[in-house]
Amino acid sequence: MRATAPKTPAQRSAMKEPDEFDRLYRDHVDLIYRYAHRLCGETESAKDLVQETFLNAYQGLKDFRGEARVSTWLYTIASRACLRMRRKRKGEPEHKLSLEEFVPTSEGEFRLQIPIDGLSPEEALQNKELRQALDQAIEKLPQKYRMALVLRDMEGLSAKEVGIIMGLNERAVKSRLHRARLFVRRELSARGIAHDDDHKSGGLRS
Amino acid sequence: MTKKKTSAPKKQSGPSSHRHTHGQGHCMDLLRQLSAYIDDELPSDICREIRGHLGACANCEVFIASLQHTVTLCRHRPAPQLTSVDRMNMRRAILDAANAR
Repeated sequence: MRATAPKTPAQRSAMKEPDEFDRLYRDHVDLIYRYAHRLCGETESAKDLVQETFLNAYQGLKDFRGEARVSTWLYTIASRACLRMRRKRKGEPEHKLSLEEFVPTSEGEFRLQIPIDGLSPEEALQNKELRQALDQAIEKLPQKYRMALVLRDMEGLSAKEVGIIMGLNERAVKSRLHRARLFVRRELSARGIAHDDDHKSGGLRS
Repeated sequence: MTKKKTSAPKKQSGPSSHRHTHGQGHCMDLLRQLSAYIDDELPSDICREIRGHLGACANCEVFIASLQHTVTLCRHRPAPQLTSVDRMNMRRAILDAANAR
């Protein structure tokens, strides 16, 4: 499909090389959609975020000097757009996670377990309850912690790259990541999900 | 079905199998460093110290196993894919929006 002809000087400049945007989109749309879906947790918001990201990229393409990898640049645009979109929707400050809230207060809390022993991660995630609990735990995370977790543990970026994208130093990235992991661990463990071997429905214990 | 092992710590001792009294101070120090330990970012002497503690504290051993499981699940969480129709429609919407601005 052909792009509509640019009208303003900025649009003409952005489209100096007409194939450039199409190439950028073709090579990275799946990556950015995956990231957007992991951040947003559902399809329509993820698509909105992808469109906002590539719209900003389209307009900023002429200024991109290649100092960062293209994927890092797009992750950065997507992350900022996500924070903007969230602020518009919710308009409230985010809860800050302190390490103290993850300190187990009883031996039982230390010993909460997640039922994946003896299973590969793929097999464990076939347990519908476990998969839903993981999705819900990530959804419940305050955005800035979720972003660190998604970029580091799901997108597989280094702490340094995550720092560039989020505008943080590596120490702050690691701190957010640690709190995010502890949060998700607590949410998963507290659900008391049974092994599928024990309960074929994967139901929660009462 | 073949069961593969995850990367969780191998030993799963019971809570009463050690004489170690679960000391909050030492265990809390460990809690702060667990992600760095899992990500192999700590100096070897601190790793040795942590392994020594885990061998003596069943609670911390189970705690780190569940955190490791959490990270493993996150790393393998499936992601949905776009259809070619979605890709085409979004591209058109982006270019329409760009030209409308």
